[in-house]
Amino acid sequence: MKILLKITVLLVPIIFILMFFFLLTEKRSYPGADYSEFQVPNFNLENLYENKIITDKDLRGDYIINVWASWCITCRVEHPYLMDLKNRRIPVVGINYKDERNNAVDWLAKYGDPYKIIIHDFKGSLALDLGVTGAPETFLVNNGKIVAHYQGEINDKIWKDVFDPIIKEKDMFR
Amino acid sequence: MKHILVLLFSISLSSGTLYEFSNDEDEKRFNKLIEDIRCPKCTSGSLASSNAPVSEDLKNKIVEMINQNKSDEEIKLYVTSRFGVDSLYEPEFNKNTYILWFSPFIFLLLGLTAFLFRKKT
Repeated sequence: MKILLKITVLLVPIIFILMFFFLLTEKRSYPGADYSEFQVPNFNLENLYENKIITDKDLRGDYIINVWASWCITCRVEHPYLMDLKNRRIPVVGINYKDERNNAVDWLAKYGDPYKIIIHDFKGSLALDLGVTGAPETFLVNNGKIVAHYQGEINDKIWKDVFDPIIKEKDMFR
Repeated sequence: MKHILVLLFSISLSSGTLYEFSNDEDEKRFNKLIEDIRCPKCTSGSLASSNAPVSEDLKNKIVEMINQNKSDEEIKLYVTSRFGVDSLYEPEFNKNTYILWFSPFIFLLLGLTAFLFRKKT
């Protein structure tokens, strides 16, 4: 009986310590970030500016996908950083999420357009296939494969903490 | 006149459902699935309890998949591969969740053993 009690008393803290050790020492872990790798889903949607159809086949190489909308306050806060990425010649593909076309075009005319291509996802179908829950959200894409996903505003700190290690590891944007 | 208005209003309320299914069984499956899947945007609400835009989209996607004769497993896989395994209220039974499923029984067994082999005073 005493042995059983001793074993239990010893075993419970050991299990908890091991659990926290494995959780806290995961190779990659960052609040709001997801490092699951998956292919960019198939899609067939209109370009924001010209009604021209864009498909997943039109996107090649390494790029960033940024989900945004003119109604999204945080997207306005994030916007200067996206302009900075454009100046650093990092291709950013925009997904205009559940937004009115005119509002989105006016917004970009007012604040500047950081995007290489903008997909007008009015119904949110592509966003749903990507696992988007709102705006802004950003994905890092390496040769057609998503390698990181961040929910929320990206800025210099998030870029350095979440995306930069993978960019260096995979030698992206060369 | 008043009665006619009430009748017309009642008909407009009862006519048509929010989601279209080919049979009642599919509708039951849908209602069960949206109770079993979490809303991706809420802290701990089910899809059924949520009106968040992403929940509405996900419900429409589930309807679409049911109407395409996809199984519950395929639908759950679609959800978990996008929004994580936490999207399901009931954790799947696999090597990562064995401890979760079996630990209550292990502790019960330890407790029972301790009780049966206790020293009587």
